[in-house]
Amino acid sequence: MPPDSDQELGRDRPGSPPAPSGASPARGARDAGAVVGPPALPGGADTRTGGYARDRVAGARRWLRTTPARVWLLTVVCLVSVAGLFGSATLTLNQAREGLDVVGHGAGPQAMTTTDLYLALADMDAQLADILLMGTDHGLGSGRDEAVERYEESRSRANEALLQAASLIEDNAEEGGAGEAATGEDGAGEGRAEERSVQELDLQAVLDGMGEYEQLATDARLRNDEAQAPPGEVDATALVSYRQATRLMHTELLPKAFNVSLDSSAIIRAHHEEGQSAVALGLVWVGSAGVVTLVSLVGLQLYLRVRFRRRVNVPVLAATAGTLLLTAGVVLALVTSGEHQRDAKEEGLDAAMALSRAGAISTDMQADQSRYLVDPTHADNYQQVYLERAQQVLFRPADNLEDYYAAIDEVAAASSEQSEGGRADGDAPVALGYLGENAGDSLLPGQEGALADVLVSYNALQDRDRELRAAVEAGDLDSAVAVRMEIAHAEDGAFRAYEQALDELTGQHKEAFTAGIARGDSALAPWSWLLPVGALALLALVVLGVRPRLAEYR
Amino acid sequence: MMFRHRRTVAAAALAAAAVSGMSACSAVLGEEESLVDATSLTVGVKADQPGLGLEDGEGGFEGFDVDVALYIAGELGIPEGSVEFVGVTSDQREDVLDVEDPLLVSGRRVDMVVATYSITPVRKTEVTFAGPYYVAKQDVLVRSDAAEIGGVRDLEGLDVCQGEGSNSTTRITEGLGIDVVPTEEPTYTDCIDLLREGDVDAVSTDNLILAGFQTQSPGEFRLVGNPFTDEKYGVGLRYGDVAACEAVNRAISKMYQDGVADDMLSRWFDGTGLETLDSVPQFEGCA
Repeated sequence: MPPDSDQELGRDRPGSPPAPSGASPARGARDAGAVVGPPALPGGADTRTGGYARDRVAGARRWLRTTPARVWLLTVVCLVSVAGLFGSATLTLNQAREGLDVVGHGAGPQAMTTTDLYLALADMDAQLADILLMGTDHGLGSGRDEAVERYEESRSRANEALLQAASLIEDNAEEGGAGEAATGEDGAGEGRAEERSVQELDLQAVLDGMGEYEQLATDARLRNDEAQAPPGEVDATALVSYRQATRLMHTELLPKAFNVSLDSSAIIRAHHEEGQSAVALGLVWVGSAGVVTLVSLVGLQLYLRVRFRRRVNVPVLAATAGTLLLTAGVVLALVTSGEHQRDAKEEGLDAAMALSRAGAISTDMQADQSRYLVDPTHADNYQQVYLERAQQVLFRPADNLEDYYAAIDEVAAASSEQSEGGRADGDAPVALGYLGENAGDSLLPGQEGALADVLVSYNALQDRDRELRAAVEAGDLDSAVAVRMEIAHAEDGAFRAYEQALDELTGQHKEAFTAGIARGDSALAPWSWLLPVGALALLALVVLGVRPRLAEYR
Repeated sequence: MMFRHRRTVAAAALAAAAVSGMSACSAVLGEEESLVDATSLTVGVKADQPGLGLEDGEGGFEGFDVDVALYIAGELGIPEGSVEFVGVTSDQREDVLDVEDPLLVSGRRVDMVVATYSITPVRKTEVTFAGPYYVAKQDVLVRSDAAEIGGVRDLEGLDVCQGEGSNSTTRITEGLGIDVVPTEEPTYTDCIDLLREGDVDAVSTDNLILAGFQTQSPGEFRLVGNPFTDEKYGVGLRYGDVAACEAVNRAISKMYQDGVADDMLSRWFDGTGLETLDSVPQFEGCA
């Protein structure tokens, strides 16, 4: 570019300020006269050399005092802030979509499968205890063949769940890396990176332990069969193997499987919270961009009004209203989808996973009835462990089973009365544990009946337990074994009934999860086209409002 | 406890929110301080339980609980030099963790309690528990020469001592229907003294606590070894600090995977006849 050091001072010239082409302020001659500034430069000798830059600065200053320049400037500010609004809204909407995607379609549903591992393992040990308890009487309950089949089923389910959990952890490893970079949450990222190996090691240990467990289980079964042990009187050598097996299951396999599942929930919580705070931060940006845009549009409006003595510039007014609507709309969509995501997570996923855990622990609990009968030496322990697991599922203060039965009876009665609207909330005894306060807190409208069904069937299960233990105390082992096998009956056993009621409630929470995520998605969906269209419309309105005014200077 | 300055993002967001006059950032506002961001830590441990938490006479503490706390602190990124220990009694454990009005111990606010603190459903309504880091079992300690006591059922009609406020003998009488004669003493040290003198026949509490006393007088006592009831030793955290709870759980898993937990248990309980578990316990969950 040739130096224009010889330009005349005090005159607007095109090209002298870094102005957009088409501004051609030189043509606004009537304004140029109005620009009466102090002589920008002492017309000294230094204008030739170093004064060149100062010439330009002075020229720019003078140009800036012209009306078209100010209109241009205000217009550019408006356009840039609309672009900023568009940019921040796009980014934040994308973050919200990503968050919904991870919780709703990625890690969320996959985490549900990790609770299956615990359930399948617990069921293997339960079926094994039942098979040993039945001994030679293959017709007890739903029969030995059924128990053997269910053992095999649970074994394959456990293997399947192990594989799924392993691939889930790999996926998380990849996602975790990306998420870390995006959110810059170094602390949480580190934690997750480490936990991958913690989870992997736990799963590896479960996988290794399963082989050993199966050997012991087979050994126990073979020995019991060979000894032709009658029902309720397990062969001593078989019992030695079973004790090792169930100990391995309860010290090595089940705790790790449970912890892996808890970790999956922790990962989802971290994803959810990182996502929500990223969106919250985004909301601040969107809001700020909206406010800046509004202020600049109002500024433009006022300037045009004062300068051109017009009442209202309609396109700019429309752009102002549009900005308000667009900002409010995006904020509302983000807040709404965030709320849906939170509800889906807390009332859907978290609740469903908690109930699945309750089911898994209950499976282990009811198997303690068989263990109590199979292993008389440790009967006291198994009875105590039964009570402890029961109190994990549904807690009422009780030092022994008799007190517990009575307390649970009250809870079940109160819950079914309540679900029929017969009793006020305040009267019900407060129960803790998975089926107590936890389940009550996450109860969705209309679910009172489903929860009452769960509690009533749980109480029925406890009633049968009382019967079983009474038979043992009366020395009637045969009746006790018969009661146990009835409870464990695959079709009409008390435990099956409880499981079905629990599955029903869990299913409702799973549905709430899917529905909540879908609502979150649909709150965001229209904005994928509404936002670009709206932003373009705003830009067009601003240009439309300003063009005729600038044209006056042509 | 002191905090890392990781909240700059939140602070910037708050400032921006204040400027723009927006109130839609409740998620940012709602962010509470968590132990995962701490740079120093005050841990409450027992001061009078050998092998678990015992004041060493020089203002320091030693034992399994102390080692566990130091390991967890390390995993949370807090160097050993920034971890302070204070002695807490059983009664104080909930109060020092109170969210609203915590009880100060020697003028300090306690951030974490690792003090043979059993996780129970009722306590879970006041305290967030990570772990358990160990599942102790209730057991009974008798004199080595008491050959006639082979199991809990042999305690029928005998004198059993328990610490004040404990309900371990209730578990024997109510839970198992065994008629024992309970005696209550202010501390377990007193019970052990009575057992040594022959004034009681047995002391009942968690096997890990009993094993700790055994290490102080080797050969004098033995565990009956018929463990019943699980006592899940948890890491007490301020109620609602789920992030810290999850981080502590990860640390505990790692402690077992590394074999460090096993080393610690050997260090404090070898030679007591206690069968310790070297595999991670089943956690309770943080929610």
